[in-house]
Amino acid sequence: MALKDIKTKIKATERTHKVTRAMEAVSAVKMRKTQTAALAGRPYARAALSILARLSGTADLARHPLMTARPVQKVALVLLTSDKGLAGALNSSVIKKAEEAMQSYAHTDVTVYAYGKKGEEYFARRGYTIARAYENKKDTIELSLMEELAHELSRGFTEGVYDAVVVAYSNFKSTFEQLPSVRRLLPLALSDIEQLVKDIVPAKGKWSELSAIAAPTAYTVEADGNDVLEYLVPRLVSVSLYHLFLEAKASEHSARMVAMKNASEKSKEVVQDLTRLFNKIRQAGITREVSEIISGREALAT
Amino acid sequence: MKSFHLTIARVGENLYDGEAVSVAAPGKKGMFQILADHEAFVSELASGEVRVKAADATTSTFAIPHSGVIEVSHNQVTVLL
Repeated sequence: MALKDIKTKIKATERTHKVTRAMEAVSAVKMRKTQTAALAGRPYARAALSILARLSGTADLARHPLMTARPVQKVALVLLTSDKGLAGALNSSVIKKAEEAMQSYAHTDVTVYAYGKKGEEYFARRGYTIARAYENKKDTIELSLMEELAHELSRGFTEGVYDAVVVAYSNFKSTFEQLPSVRRLLPLALSDIEQLVKDIVPAKGKWSELSAIAAPTAYTVEADGNDVLEYLVPRLVSVSLYHLFLEAKASEHSARMVAMKNASEKSKEVVQDLTRLFNKIRQAGITREVSEIISGREALAT
Repeated sequence: MKSFHLTIARVGENLYDGEAVSVAAPGKKGMFQILADHEAFVSELASGEVRVKAADATTSTFAIPHSGVIEVSHNQVTVLL
């Protein structure tokens, strides 16, 4: 390689390094924001869950249309991926997990709701029905969109368009660990939501404290207990969905942060190696020129 | 005056978390007020506003956009909007 080429390459790599380092910092900030949002939503989810758990004694929970399990033939898959790559194995592992979960169903029995381009492209290419595709561009999650989606899924479930709704997403364990998971959203089960509330707390770090949900007691219910259920159960569906989205977002940002960190480190290494090569070749050139001059002078002297 | 712990939360955010002496809210069957040591109680809320009197006698109000749920147990009141 010529000296000039190496120099150009060093410059280019340095530029890449700057970009990846900036992206790393940006992702770190976004990740923290999403984590804060996830925690801000936790009291609601916990409170709604504990009310539901306590009401289960007085009202007929299992008969609620959104909580009734039936044999599963048709299934809706909500797929949470990112629009852009540069996030390591995040999207591919979620897609792989989702495909595994869908293996036991015929292609025609699966309806896909794709949030994020990566998942949409993959499943559309393989002949699945995409009911709805959302772009995953914004860093915040709009509650109105979430409620709309939850409403549509609930309606599809009660009308029998599908017998179960599952969500494939990436569970945020810690900055360095994201676990691709498939979770059932409908039919709604108390144990599922309980697990969800527990999972909102990351395994490690600043937010990992957790207090227990109080034990059930008997209630005086004004109006009808079923009215309260009517209100709470659909809300819980959208809250669960909202939290899964937040998890997916936090995972995306942290995966990207780690990927960019690795890229920055690697580019630094490459620059170092290239600089060493550059110096070596330059020194070889100088040595060669010096010896040429000396031998030329000696030829003249004799 | 005896106080109780009050949490008012919306899906994405926590609106109030602290001690209060009184909460007044519009139930589906009419307005009611909750003081400390209220019995365990659940009700659906109609649209309107929740009025909170905090332990230091300051009052604040929170609007209920459509409906909500209030839950009382062991001096812990939770309002979900």
